[in-house]
Amino acid sequence: MITLTDFLVVSAALFCIGLYMIVSKRNAIQILIGIELILNAAILNLVAFGKHDSISNSGQIFALFAIVLAAATTAVALAIILNVYRKYKTIDPGKINNLKD
Amino acid sequence: MNNTLPYQDLTLITCTLAAVSSPLLAALLNFCLPAKSKAAGWISTLGILLSCVLAAKVFAGVWNNPQIHVKEVWFTIGATTVYAGILLNNLSVLMLLLVSVIALPVHIYSTAYMKYDGRYSRYFAYLSFFCFSMLALVVVDNLVLFYAFWELVGFSSYLLIGFWFTRDKAVQASKKAFIMNRIGDIGLLSAIIIIFAMYGTFDINSLFGPQGIVSFTSVHDGLWVVTPDLLPKSVGSVWLSGGANGSLPAIWQYIAVAGIFLAVAAKSAQFPLHTWLPDAMEGPTSVSALIHAATMVAAGVFLLGRVYPMFTETELTILACIGCFTAFMAATIALTQNDLKRILAYSTISQLGFMILAMGVGAYASSLFHLATHAFFKCLLFLVAGIVIHQVQHIKEDNNLDIDPQSILYMGGLGKKLPFTFIAAIVGGLALVGLPLTSGYLSKDGILIQAFEWSDSRSAWFKIIPVTALLTTWLTAFYVARLIVRVFFGEFRLLKINPGIKLHIGDGGWQYKLPLALLAICSLFPLFSLHPLLYEHAWVFNGLSPSNYLVRENIYHTIIPAGVNILSLFVLYAAYAIYIKQNSFSLPQTGFLYRLSYNQWYIDKIYKRAFVKPVLGFGKACFWFDKNIIDGFIHLLTKLSGCAALFTAWTDKYIVDGFLHLIAAIVQSIGNFARSFQSGKVQYYLFSMLIIVLTLFILKILI
Amino acid sequence: MSLIRVLFYFMSVIAVASALYAASTKNLVRSIFVFFVTLFALAGLYVLALADFVAVTQVVIYVGGILVLIIFAFMLSGKETLNVIQQQKGKFFSLGKLPAILLAALFFIVMINVMLKADADNLAWVKDSITYNNTITPNAVMIDNIGVNLMTRYLLPFEAISILLLMALVGAAHLSRKEGSA
Repeated sequence: MITLTDFLVVSAALFCIGLYMIVSKRNAIQILIGIELILNAAILNLVAFGKHDSISNSGQIFALFAIVLAAATTAVALAIILNVYRKYKTIDPGKINNLKD
Repeated sequence: MNNTLPYQDLTLITCTLAAVSSPLLAALLNFCLPAKSKAAGWISTLGILLSCVLAAKVFAGVWNNPQIHVKEVWFTIGATTVYAGILLNNLSVLMLLLVSVIALPVHIYSTAYMKYDGRYSRYFAYLSFFCFSMLALVVVDNLVLFYAFWELVGFSSYLLIGFWFTRDKAVQASKKAFIMNRIGDIGLLSAIIIIFAMYGTFDINSLFGPQGIVSFTSVHDGLWVVTPDLLPKSVGSVWLSGGANGSLPAIWQYIAVAGIFLAVAAKSAQFPLHTWLPDAMEGPTSVSALIHAATMVAAGVFLLGRVYPMFTETELTILACIGCFTAFMAATIALTQNDLKRILAYSTISQLGFMILAMGVGAYASSLFHLATHAFFKCLLFLVAGIVIHQVQHIKEDNNLDIDPQSILYMGGLGKKLPFTFIAAIVGGLALVGLPLTSGYLSKDGILIQAFEWSDSRSAWFKIIPVTALLTTWLTAFYVARLIVRVFFGEFRLLKINPGIKLHIGDGGWQYKLPLALLAICSLFPLFSLHPLLYEHAWVFNGLSPSNYLVRENIYHTIIPAGVNILSLFVLYAAYAIYIKQNSFSLPQTGFLYRLSYNQWYIDKIYKRAFVKPVLGFGKACFWFDKNIIDGFIHLLTKLSGCAALFTAWTDKYIVDGFLHLIAAIVQSIGNFARSFQSGKVQYYLFSMLIIVLTLFILKILI
Repeated sequence: MSLIRVLFYFMSVIAVASALYAASTKNLVRSIFVFFVTLFALAGLYVLALADFVAVTQVVIYVGGILVLIIFAFMLSGKETLNVIQQQKGKFFSLGKLPAILLAALFFIVMINVMLKADADNLAWVKDSITYNNTITPNAVMIDNIGVNLMTRYLLPFEAISILLLMALVGAAHLSRKEGSA
């Protein structure tokens, strides 16, 4: 049987990889993918724990909602990235440092 | 403090005051006039004429009458009251008349003598100022005023000696005169102070008068003390003002008397303070005539006359020795001098020595008598010298010669060219020698006779003094003859040296002749005594001395006059022979005695080496000290503070400012460090946030 | 070692490996397409977790919607964007990434630690759900359960989500319009 812990480990690994991508990538779209990874790790977590609640099934329902929200997030994020590109002519977040001291 | 004076006395006092202040007024007027105004001479002459007339009136009123003494309170310090007043006794009015009568011809002479001088009115201002000082000196009644006018007389002399101040020698001479007079002034001041400490009063009459306190003091057992036992029974007790001691150690009496001697020696040019008088001849001749022959130098003798009761026997003997030595020394020097005025200057010193000698041997009256007669004939001789020098000066300027107009080596035979002057010179010269029928004979022989009488009553050593005086008389005769013969007899030596020169000389105008005539007449006997040969009959003599001298006491009174005068005649002829005939031996000019005499006994040189050079050297040392050590110290301090300032600046710049810069740099680096956190990069922000969270988690797990 | 476990390991390895590859590559296109694979693997993991509807929804929305959206977004942005994106120089493993790797590793360690401490299998409510038969069995059909729950228990979030979607889409459309600024 697949224990909960296994799922949790996998989700933790995905989460950390996503975190790594957010913190270190030089491309905004790759950062977006990192965010997606983190979200997916969270959804995996939800689904793994949702196995143990069949009456209210909150795990899976919440996973559905999370997926939908991820989609909305991505759409808006892409629109933002587009606008950033239009203004700064680059999507490297390291180069957009107008707020620096 | 006589509030009720008799009318007669009041007029006399008023006349005295007027006589004294008339020259002062003239001096002030002349001071305000421009330098070349001719009116100055007339103002001064009128002033002195007025003084003369008033002095005569006062003289007539006071001579041989009871003395007049008025005084007012001048100022009070603590318990001491100082008075200012006038004392008129025989001595005062004699001097008053003498000074004004001598000053009058000198003023008239000066109007012509100084006619072409650029500072004519200033000269007369000074001359009148001098007359004022001298007249005031002889009538004041207390020692404080006496000292004041003593100093003023010295000051006037300084002004007049250095009148031609553009000449360096005149400036030096006036300084020398003033400094030497100052030395005397120190003595006088010390004496006045000691007298005040002893007796408590400055009043001359109460001190030295007939019933004065000084008469009742004596020195015994080492104490100088007022001894009432000496009082005659008829006089009440003597009382001293508050603050007076009445009794001091005897040393103070000696110091006071030494002070008086110093003052007399300085003013009357006695050894050792006589060297200023020959140098004082740098002034105009009329000044020399008035001041340095007749009046100012007589002030010393006058002082002696005033304070005479104070001296003890020993002190009088010392005085006599000083006077005798000075007379002899000056006469020997005068033998070899070639400068006309210098011979006369040394002659003055010698005659003053005679006067001091007379004071010393107790011939009080003779001394003052000689003062009076000497004033006339010495003034006369000086005026004659002035005329002669003036004429030689004319010759020099007319012919552009390079000679000293005062040297007798270039003169000779002027008797034919200046006849009036020649006669005046003869009269004066004979008076100086002391031949009979002149006034000089009366006074000088009186001194000699009394000197011999004085030495009789003492041990044999004291005979030296009258003998030396005798010798000096013959020396006087010789140098006077030498002078007269060299100048007026023989041939005009200048003409022999420069044959082609033109001579346009002659006696001067009435302004020259009138004074000479006046003074020449006064140098003869009739002014002073009706009997030409006996000094005891002279009214001056009688007025000044106790009345028991009429007796011709001993043989001295006959031998001395006869012997002295006969030998003097021989000496006169010898001088004539030597200098004009030139057929007898001429005196050697290279011997030690000649050189000693010619160089004035080297006294000037000794003074220069002993006093002047050390003082100047000390002055230079002080200057060196001030410049190098004191200023050097200041420069050192300056450098030190400069270094300290540099060090402080360095410290301020590098350490203090450096510290501030260090702090600023630290803050800046901290700021830069902190700023680097705001890089503007989103991922970096996220990263730092996560690191913190992670750290918290780890801490939570571990702890 | 049952088949399920093997499958599980297989799926998880694929997921993690592809995620690692997506993380490490500099090439954007590659990372997007590999992400594609990750999503599929994740869907498989959902199935193994007995959440089949979620797996399908994942494939449909995530893969078919979001990923396609991303691909179209950068593909249609123009040549410059493409050039910019393609030009990522650098070595395979640059030292600048070390802090991020460290961060991720530490986070992973911390999380593993917590998980092992938490011991999820032995939680009280988990055990209770097993004893009271509250778990989802492999045979159960959960669709009607999901439908009923959505309409009754989770109606409010359902409506809220729909409004949110509307807002997001309108906003995204407005933000990315051609002219002017956002």
